[in-house]
Amino acid sequence: MTDSRALDADIAPAGEFSPAGRSLWRRLEPTIYGSASILLLLVLWEVLPRLIPMKAGTKLFFTTPSQIAGTLWNLFATGAIWAPLGVSASGFAFGLALSIVVGLPLGVLIGRSRTLNAMLDPFITAFNATPRLVFLPLVMLWFGLGLWSKVVIVFVGALFPILINTYEGVRNADRTLINVVRSFGASEWDVARLVVVPNAMPYITAGLRLAIGRAVLGVVVAEFFGAEQGLGVMMVQAAGRYQVDVVFCGLIVFAVLSLFMTWLVQLLESRLSLWRPQKAGGE
Amino acid sequence: MTGDAVPRQSFTDKHHKALLGLLAVVIFFAAWQSIFLVMPFNPLFISKPDLIFDALVYLVVSGDLFHDLAVSAVPFLYGFSLAVIVGVTLGIVMGWRQRVAYALDPIMTLFYASPLVALAPLVIVFFGVGVGGKALIIFLLSVFPFIFNVQAGVRAVDPLLINVVRSMGGSERDLYLKIIVPSVLPYIVAGARIAVGRGLIGILVGEFFAASEGIGYAIARFGDLFALDKMFACILVIMAIAVAMTEGIRWAERAAFPWRAGQ
Repeated sequence: MTDSRALDADIAPAGEFSPAGRSLWRRLEPTIYGSASILLLLVLWEVLPRLIPMKAGTKLFFTTPSQIAGTLWNLFATGAIWAPLGVSASGFAFGLALSIVVGLPLGVLIGRSRTLNAMLDPFITAFNATPRLVFLPLVMLWFGLGLWSKVVIVFVGALFPILINTYEGVRNADRTLINVVRSFGASEWDVARLVVVPNAMPYITAGLRLAIGRAVLGVVVAEFFGAEQGLGVMMVQAAGRYQVDVVFCGLIVFAVLSLFMTWLVQLLESRLSLWRPQKAGGE
Repeated sequence: MTGDAVPRQSFTDKHHKALLGLLAVVIFFAAWQSIFLVMPFNPLFISKPDLIFDALVYLVVSGDLFHDLAVSAVPFLYGFSLAVIVGVTLGIVMGWRQRVAYALDPIMTLFYASPLVALAPLVIVFFGVGVGGKALIIFLLSVFPFIFNVQAGVRAVDPLLINVVRSMGGSERDLYLKIIVPSVLPYIVAGARIAVGRGLIGILVGEFFAASEGIGYAIARFGDLFALDKMFACILVIMAIAVAMTEGIRWAERAAFPWRAGQ
């Protein structure tokens, strides 16, 4: 996760400054501290509401980890979660797929063509800086409350990380390699296929990781404000009924979804970079 | 070819990119305006640049726009300032104290990976529809870029400089004030660039949910009223603000920390 965070920040992560020879304690230290703090948080959260006397009205606002776990188990056991989860996941999948299909070729194109880049730059800058949420009322007017307005919001959110990272990767392609391939009579299509896209792969996967976060965000907000079904709808309705545990369950499911997809991309990334002699750019 | 042709040539060369971009924007709006000469125009579904411009003028003249912007700015300022204070402090401590980083890193990563916007309905239920709830949403969304960037920045501090201060008998406080803070500043600004965008999302989420004024509420209300020209005007205003903020920070980065340019 360190990488995607740092990339979000446009800054390369600094290396760990720890000595080479580490004892067992040294090696386990991060894990121990990390799990201990999470455990402590959970225990405090579980115990404090029981110790501090509260009025029944105030108690309505609070939940405990055990309660959340129970609700989560119930949601899966009764199968009540599958229908909204399926709706959310299909919006997520369609939108993300569409943004890859559009963003990848477009990124290669503006990376290869100076004129096209100059002409599209104002639009890319404007749309990338603007929170995609402003378009939601408009998208709802155009596409209704169903699946498609969700797909569009996810698409608009996920498109730009992929587009911009592909562009950066293409711009950083080795000039010499391009010239060599050209000298052997390659067309622009061959240049893209043989040199540019393989070289841009680390950038593209990094963009994909960012895009996943944006896409999950898109699903959540689209369902909060303009949908009839889905996990986000379930959460808003639960919040209205003071079912705080259900809201947290939704949050956990969304987080797991986003972590799982990030993990898939990381898997893809390590597969694709096996041939690379050493870690190339992209970070 | 006369002598004065040379600088003119270099002017178009230098601004080649900007001119092309401007041209594309002009073409875009011209195409948008003229496409309705051949297509039927439905004001309930789409708007036209001239109508949007009229709406923008109306909103500016009537003062509605500035009122909404001022209302939205208040929670943004509170939430964002809190994010700067908490994020920078936490980031410095996490970057500097290895064990604190071990302890907090997994939790922070967990929070960052989960779509915190999903807590917005809960925050509104807890803290109400006023400034507090919105400020909290904005804080939650914009604090993490600061934490992670500042942490990375502290880690990137030159150990040689630290050793020099230590050798000269500098205290821990000297270390923070004289070495860490100056070298971390570029990272803070870079974090701010990310955080501004997320903070804007926070405003919109808060106001779409529960508000009676503000720029996000204005967009949602104009959408409900099918006043698409006014809605487009507000959307363009938000786009302009977002671009001005992120590009402004980018510009400040280049101006203030030229050695980081291109990174």
